[in-house]
Amino acid sequence: MLATLLSATLNGLAGRVVRVEVDVAPGLPGFTIVGLPDAALSEARERVRGALRNSGYRNPPRRITVNLAPAELRKAGASLDLAIALGVLLGSEQVAADAAGLGLVGELGLGGEVRRVPGLLPMVLALRDRGVRRVLVPAEAVEEARLAPGVDVEGMATLGDVASCLRRPRARRVTPAPLPRTGVGPVVVPEPAARGAAGRAEYADRVPDLSEVRGQVVARRGLEIALAGGHALLMIGPPGAGKTLLARTIPSLMPDLDDASALAATVVASVASEAPVTELRRRPPVRMPHHTVSYAGMVGGGPRLAPGEVTLADQGCLVCDELPEFGRDVLEALRQPLEEGSVAVVRVGRWATFPARFTFVAAMNPCPCGRLGSAGQSCTCPTGVPQRYLRRVSGPLRDRVDLWAAMDRVPPELLLRGPAPESSAVVAARIRLARAAQAARNAGVPNGQLGSRALRDACRLGAATASRAVLLADREGLSGRGTDRLLRVARTIADLEGRDAVSVADLDEAARFRVPADRFGLGVSG
Amino acid sequence: MLGIGRLGPLGRDGDATTGGSASACPPAVDERGAWVVLAGAHGVGPVTFARLVAAYGSARAVLLDATLPGAVGRLVDASAGSESGPVLSPASAMTVVAAARDPERALDSVRRSGVSVVTQRDAAYPSRLRQIDLPPPVLFVTGSVESLEPRRAVAVVGTRRPTAVGRATSARIAAAVGASGATVVSGLAYGIDAAAHLAAVRAGTPTVAVVGGGHQHLYPAGHSGLAAAIAAGGGSVVSEFAPDVPPSRGTFPRRNRIISGLSDATVVVEAGARSGALTTAAWALEQGRGLYLVPGRLDDPAVAGSLAFLREAGPEARVVAGIAELLEDLGLDAPPRRARSDQAARLGAAEAAIAAALAGGAGSADELVAATGLPGAAVLAALTTLELRGLVVEVLGRYQAAGRLAERPRRGPRPLDARDAGRPVG
Ligand SMILES: [Zn+2]
Repeated sequence: MLATLLSATLNGLAGRVVRVEVDVAPGLPGFTIVGLPDAALSEARERVRGALRNSGYRNPPRRITVNLAPAELRKAGASLDLAIALGVLLGSEQVAADAAGLGLVGELGLGGEVRRVPGLLPMVLALRDRGVRRVLVPAEAVEEARLAPGVDVEGMATLGDVASCLRRPRARRVTPAPLPRTGVGPVVVPEPAARGAAGRAEYADRVPDLSEVRGQVVARRGLEIALAGGHALLMIGPPGAGKTLLARTIPSLMPDLDDASALAATVVASVASEAPVTELRRRPPVRMPHHTVSYAGMVGGGPRLAPGEVTLADQGCLVCDELPEFGRDVLEALRQPLEEGSVAVVRVGRWATFPARFTFVAAMNPCPCGRLGSAGQSCTCPTGVPQRYLRRVSGPLRDRVDLWAAMDRVPPELLLRGPAPESSAVVAARIRLARAAQAARNAGVPNGQLGSRALRDACRLGAATASRAVLLADREGLSGRGTDRLLRVARTIADLEGRDAVSVADLDEAARFRVPADRFGLGVSG
Repeated sequence: MLGIGRLGPLGRDGDATTGGSASACPPAVDERGAWVVLAGAHGVGPVTFARLVAAYGSARAVLLDATLPGAVGRLVDASAGSESGPVLSPASAMTVVAAARDPERALDSVRRSGVSVVTQRDAAYPSRLRQIDLPPPVLFVTGSVESLEPRRAVAVVGTRRPTAVGRATSARIAAAVGASGATVVSGLAYGIDAAAHLAAVRAGTPTVAVVGGGHQHLYPAGHSGLAAAIAAGGGSVVSEFAPDVPPSRGTFPRRNRIISGLSDATVVVEAGARSGALTTAAWALEQGRGLYLVPGRLDDPAVAGSLAFLREAGPEARVVAGIAELLEDLGLDAPPRRARSDQAARLGAAEAAIAAALAGGAGSADELVAATGLPGAAVLAALTTLELRGLVVEVLGRYQAAGRLAERPRRGPRPLDARDAGRPVG
């Protein structure tokens, strides 16, 4: 007889509902799966057979045909195992149950144990959106599945649990409480397993506070503006200037994600992670891939089309220290996410579009010897070498940088003088307010992504500010795009100061983050 | 912008006496166009150009003859002087022949590149350049052609790899020269040249960059943005080479004679033993223009060339003894001095606090935050405000007083920094 069950598979970051039809019919014994399965799915046959046998069921000596619908959807992975196994049990009348409104997601081991698959959360979300009210998931990942609001989730440790659970009268479950808040605790950074050292976040330990950074007013303020408005920031300075320390304070400056963003960030973690995700990612991700990261590690890809660093940093921050040391193809691959907020990942015959909207923070030495552009030092690199070094970061990538922060080492006597630096809490509060102002005004678009037209509306320039903007743009030989950059930054400065309209002072401050062309022999690109 | 309309059309016009068909006929260009074609041919320098035009009577006649059989030999012979042999190589003569056969191609290439053309036949040709030996017959210009004829012009040149002090000095001199109403001329190179151009651009005064190659091969390429800023700021970028000529070893020394030739005086800021800036210095003397060298510490390789030049050149080469002194020697008026209270009254509170802190010497933004106690954001905004007024100059992340602020008696707070990049060397 025919049994029909609902399960799900993964396409990019999205769960796709799959109807699993299992027909157990008289005839020559056999087990056929049709409907665009991939290699891992073809092996489902063996896993299901083993699981049935070792859970005390018969493998019916009949002709078993499994059809996966919709036929045109390419299915991957082992998430359908559980549904196929239950289909065989129902079809061969070893178990009797009403499977209407039921969804199942899980991989089977040969011994009958139910295992988590990456992307469980978006699969449960997809089933919920299809009207499924009850989903059976691997017991080890039941917390992850419960992060999906509005659906009853039950954890299954073995295939035997599924049968006994269905025999039981269905327990009324309360819909899970609203999303838990994790508060402003230690920062959790998604840590995809098995990505190798190159892909690992480097914030495993303590996040320094901004008050520990002395001096560097330009870079500090640049970082504040970048995080407030979603602008790309490039810090250039010699080793020891404090670029890395400053970048490491980023987690302490970013506000919590709202509910929708938190769920989206958790979906990314669910897809990327081999281990179950246990709580909602309320803190924005901060990724700091090493410069040896591979193309696939940065962009995404690999055998199961996993998201890369740019997607793991979605809704958060991507930090690239030693920018020119990254592979040329890796750097070029950053352009698409920076321009479009998403990235297309292609792997033999399959492709997916992953979200990748992040604040880009990069740091680099000005030249191989590190001394170029430092007061009181001279560069010892051969002529032309510093220019070649800077050109490793291509023009189009440099054009995406709204904020340039030239840095120098802070002289020791300055470390003791002057007002105490602001703490992360003070700066984070300003950033939160600036983001709220943008959300209210720009329909959710950060200033860093505003198009020309919307930007000019948002700045509310008057006669004095408009002529100042023109004066500053002329002075730097800025093109239209360069003028937009100036206005975008000024808009965020005004938001940080709580101003409705951009002021002359905001424009003047924004101009300090110009391309430091004369200092490092860069073109004054517009 | 072609810039050709104002200075007369390039190419076919009523002046051409054409008839018949394509190749072996008089070139369909007027004399001005012929100048552009001939001067723009690779390998034709001002000496060759002058000898050929003298031998044939006009550039059109040169081009006409070049289209006839056996032209290469005749052109080479015609390029010989009364006392010296031919200066045109057979290879270069062949480029002249090629250009003569299809003059429209060369002219089209110039039109497409968007540069203005100024020939010695034009009234707009800079009068200072007319006075030098062998002036370039044709100039290719982006930006304002008028900027080549300023009331006063001072070249500021030096090494491509200056010290921080050298860079700062270059910026200060350029800012002071610009503020006094004179135009800063330099060579768009890295180092001293760029610091001078940038200081002028930032102060909103016109500056002229003379480049050692065609406009399509702007060198160094990293300064294309600076070149655009110069052209947009009322200045110009000028070359004696056609837009498609790449820079080469030989083009830079030639460029240097135009830098000094466009200027009333040349100031050499830092020049090591073999710096190209010394050839500019030599040209300045040769052309009877003023020459000033910023001295430096003995044994400092950064100024070894300048010191050696001072020793050899004799009294015409003068020493820069200070910014005010230089302006005085150059006969430039120092910008009007205002009473201190008046000046302070026109500055905002943050600007005034920074001005006071900078009275003691140069400082970084961090040092200014420490000295004034102002929030970082206020200091950054105020620095731009002061820069726009020409009161502050930034060099390598360090800010120093400029314009009126720099002329104040040095009193008050002790210097912020012993490395003080703000004072002239020596
Ligand atoms: Zn170096």
